[in-house]
Amino acid sequence: MLYREAGDFKSTYAADQQTFPIRSERMLFWMAMAVAFIAMPLLLGAYPEGSTYWVKAILLPFLVWSMIALGLNILTGYCGQVSLGTGGFMAVGAFACYKLMTAFPDLNIVICIVLSGAVTAGVGVLFGLPSLRIKGFYLAVATLAAQFFLVWMFNKFAWFYNYSASGQITAPERTILGIAVTGPNSAPWATYLLALTLLFAFAWVARNLTRGRIGRSWMAMRDMDIAAEIMGVSPLQAKLSAFAVSSFYIGMGGAMFFSIYLGAAEVTEAFGIDKSFDALFMVIIGGLGSILGAFLGAGFIVLFPIFLTVVMRDGLGWPTATVEHFQIMIVGGLIIFLLIVEPHGLAQLWRLTKEKLRLWPFPY
Amino acid sequence: MSPEFLYFIETVINGLMSGVMYSLVALGFVLIFKASGIFNFAQGVMALFAALTLVGLQTGQVPFAHLINAIFGTEIHHFGWELPAAVAIAGTLVVMVAFAWIFEKLVLKHLVNQEPIILFMATIGLAYFLEGFGDLMWGSDVKTLNVGIPSGGSFWWEDVTKTWAAEGSDYFGMYIDVLDVYAAVIAVILVIALTAFSQYTRTGRALRAVADDHQAAQSVGISLRSIWVIVWSIAGFVALVAGIMWGSKSGVQFSLSLIALKALPVLILGGFTSIPGAIIGGLIIGVGEKLAELYIGPLVGGAIENWFAYVVALVFLLFRPQGLFGEKIIERV
Amino acid sequence: MNAPLKTADLRASERFQMTAHQDGIAKGETLLAVENVSLSFGGVKAITNISFDIRKGEIRAIIGPNGAGKTSMLNVINGFYHPQEGTITYRGEKRSQMRSTDAARQGIARTFQNIALFKGMSTLDNIMTGRITLQKRNIFWQALWHGPAMKEDLEHREAVEHIIDFLEIQHIRKTPVGRLPYGLQKRVELGRALAAEPALLLLDEPMAGMNLEEKEDMSRFILDVNDQFGTTIALIEHDMGVVMDISDRVVVLDYGRKIGDGPPDEVSQNQDVIDAYLGVSHD
Repeated sequence: MLYREAGDFKSTYAADQQTFPIRSERMLFWMAMAVAFIAMPLLLGAYPEGSTYWVKAILLPFLVWSMIALGLNILTGYCGQVSLGTGGFMAVGAFACYKLMTAFPDLNIVICIVLSGAVTAGVGVLFGLPSLRIKGFYLAVATLAAQFFLVWMFNKFAWFYNYSASGQITAPERTILGIAVTGPNSAPWATYLLALTLLFAFAWVARNLTRGRIGRSWMAMRDMDIAAEIMGVSPLQAKLSAFAVSSFYIGMGGAMFFSIYLGAAEVTEAFGIDKSFDALFMVIIGGLGSILGAFLGAGFIVLFPIFLTVVMRDGLGWPTATVEHFQIMIVGGLIIFLLIVEPHGLAQLWRLTKEKLRLWPFPY
Repeated sequence: MSPEFLYFIETVINGLMSGVMYSLVALGFVLIFKASGIFNFAQGVMALFAALTLVGLQTGQVPFAHLINAIFGTEIHHFGWELPAAVAIAGTLVVMVAFAWIFEKLVLKHLVNQEPIILFMATIGLAYFLEGFGDLMWGSDVKTLNVGIPSGGSFWWEDVTKTWAAEGSDYFGMYIDVLDVYAAVIAVILVIALTAFSQYTRTGRALRAVADDHQAAQSVGISLRSIWVIVWSIAGFVALVAGIMWGSKSGVQFSLSLIALKALPVLILGGFTSIPGAIIGGLIIGVGEKLAELYIGPLVGGAIENWFAYVVALVFLLFRPQGLFGEKIIERV
Repeated sequence: MNAPLKTADLRASERFQMTAHQDGIAKGETLLAVENVSLSFGGVKAITNISFDIRKGEIRAIIGPNGAGKTSMLNVINGFYHPQEGTITYRGEKRSQMRSTDAARQGIARTFQNIALFKGMSTLDNIMTGRITLQKRNIFWQALWHGPAMKEDLEHREAVEHIIDFLEIQHIRKTPVGRLPYGLQKRVELGRALAAEPALLLLDEPMAGMNLEEKEDMSRFILDVNDQFGTTIALIEHDMGVVMDISDRVVVLDYGRKIGDGPPDEVSQNQDVIDAYLGVSHD
């Protein structure tokens, strides 16, 4: 009943290529957005004592990781370049944000975050250069160089963390319209709304980039690079633009991760190689080459450990370490399972569900 | 000889020794890649898992003790007996072969015609799975592994080298860990054995045929699936050897699985398909890393071991994308 | 197979013309000439000292036994392989090698012997990639989408729809190409090349592996492209019947050398060509 296409004819090409071509789906989307943008902040504002846990443990990690997964999905899912350097690029975003925030105290936090993305885009292009010569897992290994080098660099040179004794970076308080969104006094609902707004805006941009010429040149590069080149897609432009855009998102994600979500970070701990794998898992589980997939994957990887902890530790009373081992094991097993049964991830399952819903309740 | 020069030699020798260790891990990668086109990211975790199992068997740990205790409220840890090293190694080998067999049955069989990059990501999944599984089975605490390989500095070598230094200089001789020497010898034997196996036996020939062309190999009656079980078993065996060496050296713990990350630049350097490449690549990376730490490290603040190998491999790749021993790739349309 | 079309649409696609690559070269004059081109891989000679030309508006066939260097020749023309010797003159500009992206930008498009479609994309998106060189909006307009980028994309969509009509593949517009049968994939690939509005269209065995009916369809499309859009076509084909029927001139290669060149009936009488096809030994 939800996906009623009958009578929903398209008479222009513009109507044919919109993001949600089915009317009921469009309505559902805007309703969800209304809840996320209006009802949710009101609810969080009304119950400040409970909202801290929800925002800190669930909502913020989901939003920030969605941004990062979007970025990696552009590179890996759309352009076909596997990267294991996500943690390193997140660190670039975080440290760029920190330096910008401390060097220009009057600069708006949103501008800081976007600029951090731009800095990361530059770094991403630099580490993307090898992709012009090498492919596949050779490249994946090469991106590990970015991961290790960048983390080492932020650890080694005290300038990056303003010579603080602990080597930590701590986000100072910044306000938007007089409401604190970073620092210890920030209101949970405000941090949520800021992260949501940023994510919404850039998810929209990601959708735009992937549906036009640039998106097609990325996908062409992914599916058959030689043919793409002969069709006139420049590998230089396609691959480096994918690295730039992807790193831009990951950099912004890293900046948000540090400034809005964590508030303080130490590079080896916050941006280690496990973050690179987490991001990759999100993209695989969510669905390679799908915007929706980035959200589903981020949601899954963020929520799954919480779910396991609640069930196994709080419910069954198992020791934390055992639960963690289970969690690692199950995530790994799920990756393999998904790659076997549905290499296009949760997004593809959602698509198939929709196909079924179209015919429901009278399948053939 | 001046002490500086002797330090240099010492660094090179130590670099060669750790290079051999890298080669040992890289060898596992190459074997699997050659036979199945899979870049097995889980090779390092396999080494960890093998070492964990070995320690567990040797000391008579109860598998899944934590889980059993958590579920049934019991307090069991050990069976109370210890196995001799040889028996424990044999037992671990059986476990690794069983693992290869199960993995082929449950996973590989279903991923036969997938793209290499999908297979690669599946092995990342495997790495996570095996890590969680190993920890769940044997616990995640740091364990010491002792199968009777002597370790510690060699006094004899220290005394010999002391005499090389010029009179009156305060040089105290070179430090070389005996364990490293054993590791090097074992690695050399392993390489010779594996090369002989793949060159001179029927199975070895089938292995190379599969590496060249799956379908053609199948069409002459080679069973792809049994070859895969064999290859993954061999890789499990190599992982066990690597696990024993690294485990005896620095204890059995999670960081042991990270040696895989050390072996990756070796692979890039040597090429994914070349056994000699893995050996020479390992030696180059081992020596390069130690020398860089000695001479470049102090200039940039040290601790460059983590990424130096990668940068070397990367720079190298830009000039020779096919690796040291790889053949030039002619692209066709 | 034909989806019903409104008459207005049909007329529109019949009027559709390819105007992206105007070069002012008159019909019958030389569009492309290769002179003394040699190509080798390591020690293996793929092409030895070959010269021939392609005239504007003609259908030029390149034939020869397997391994004669036909595909390598196409690869040289569109810049995928770089010859060690010789020159390539395209639209009056002489050079020692092409670059593949340049070749695409200057109106050389091609199809491949083993289908090289973008498997993860729909028919529509595949054909849209053919227009990548014609789309100009930069990344910032693309990021905003609504406005110039969308307008541009929709214009190109319209052109692509004409090509879809022309090739009669309306019904598979949104189908992922990986799911299509072989014959249709070949047709989509032709569509992708046509979408670039090429001045020179290279077809590498467009009819390989097809049955008689599909071959007839494909021949008709090739002739129609040549006729309706005036596109110059160079094609490699093994089916002699087809080659003799549709091509204006034929060049014959064997072991990387040219052994014949001229109109189809003349070439088919050439003793060297007959020997090459019947397998007379080379010594």
